[in-house]
Amino acid sequence: MSATPTPNAVIVEEAIEFTLDELGRATRTSTRWLVTLVDEGVIAPTQRSGAPMQWRFSGDALRRARQAARLARDFELDLHGVALAMDLLQQIERLKQRLAAAGVRD
Amino acid sequence: MWFAATLPTSPAPSAVMEFKDYYAALGVDRTATPDEIKRAYRQLARKYHPDVSQEPDAEARFKEVGEAYEVLKDAEKRAAYDEAGRRWSQRGAGAEPPPGWDAGFEFSGADFGEAMAGDEADYSDFFEALFGRHMRGARASARAARGDGRAAGTMHAMRGEDHHAKIDIELEDAYRGAQRTLTLRMPVADGQGQVHLQQRQVEVTIPPGIRAGQHLRLAGQGGAGFNGGPAGDLYLEVAFKPHRHYRVDGRDVTLELPVAPWEAALGAAVVVPVPNGPVELQIPAGSKAGRRMRLRGKGLPGPTPGDFYVVLQVVLPPADSDAAQAAYRALQQSAGTFNPRAELEAQR
Repeated sequence: MSATPTPNAVIVEEAIEFTLDELGRATRTSTRWLVTLVDEGVIAPTQRSGAPMQWRFSGDALRRARQAARLARDFELDLHGVALAMDLLQQIERLKQRLAAAGVRD
Repeated sequence: MWFAATLPTSPAPSAVMEFKDYYAALGVDRTATPDEIKRAYRQLARKYHPDVSQEPDAEARFKEVGEAYEVLKDAEKRAAYDEAGRRWSQRGAGAEPPPGWDAGFEFSGADFGEAMAGDEADYSDFFEALFGRHMRGARASARAARGDGRAAGTMHAMRGEDHHAKIDIELEDAYRGAQRTLTLRMPVADGQGQVHLQQRQVEVTIPPGIRAGQHLRLAGQGGAGFNGGPAGDLYLEVAFKPHRHYRVDGRDVTLELPVAPWEAALGAAVVVPVPNGPVELQIPAGSKAGRRMRLRGKGLPGPTPGDFYVVLQVVLPPADSDAAQAAYRALQQSAGTFNPRAELEAQR
């Protein structure tokens, strides 16, 4: 099969805003579950006024929602466990960056 | 899914189906209880899950473990798998699986975890043969239940699913942008409704300024639509291949730059290899080892371009000749009362 050119590769975190539906499709999760993620503070719409269908999420929500889904499924965690795990993982990531910046090899 | 982004094609999948030993993957007996299976899975998940694991090859190991648990944790799937195993073992000495080994299984209540499942191509060919059709049926029902399109089995057009993959790129690609050809394995149904994983090539334009961890969206490159519906999108998670010399933090790039002692002490003009072209840098006289110097805006491009940092690493020429040793002794003489450990001694 010949390759199809794709000039339309867009950086999600910089150029894309998701509706709840679009985020659900991209992460293969239900909008109901995504709303519980918002309630738990794992992802946050850019503005929370109005009904969930009016919420808009920045591109960064894609990565966080996918990670939350992965942790919930693979570790069989409830939402609180997922939120805690993500906070800890984020801290670890920051620490790794600080170590790398200080020249410490992993 | 991991793809070697620089290769035009991947090797074709093996023609002979391998029977996957899920019990061995979890390290349990064939008579293990559901509790034992769950316990084994949980320990292995903590050990090999890519989000938390330090092990090499964690992603591949976790795929094995996850797929084994997916089958063995559910009574119906486990029963089907055990039966398939019995049929398979009756094939005799041949390498080919016996015909019909994977047929005739129905799953009424089996849970395919469709609410939060990974991509279909994450599963092995073996899993696909045994459970693929049922998994897709369950997912279609789940999508309908989520309100995404109409009920499964109707003639209404439905959007294809979004797919995800990972792509490793060179740091230089992120500086200048690049064209890469990806090979993807997608489940494709033939005329008889038999599904196999087919390879498809997609050309991706990597935009300059992309950062590690960001995603690219390729509209319409995901799963095919149903009944004339539009195709889904393809999301690519970008990672940088570890670089021999540069460290990357967001858009900032750091290089440890070796310099000679006289370059640091007396100052010098040196050429710094920056990914998008060498830059001449004036090292000020009296520079200490470890000094950080910033080349503003020479990091990854972007709305606010990153910076390029140079960290001076003083490298001593070896004292391996009479002349070199004499030079070091002369330096020692001229240093007089210089004490590099003055601060340490003052603490006593």
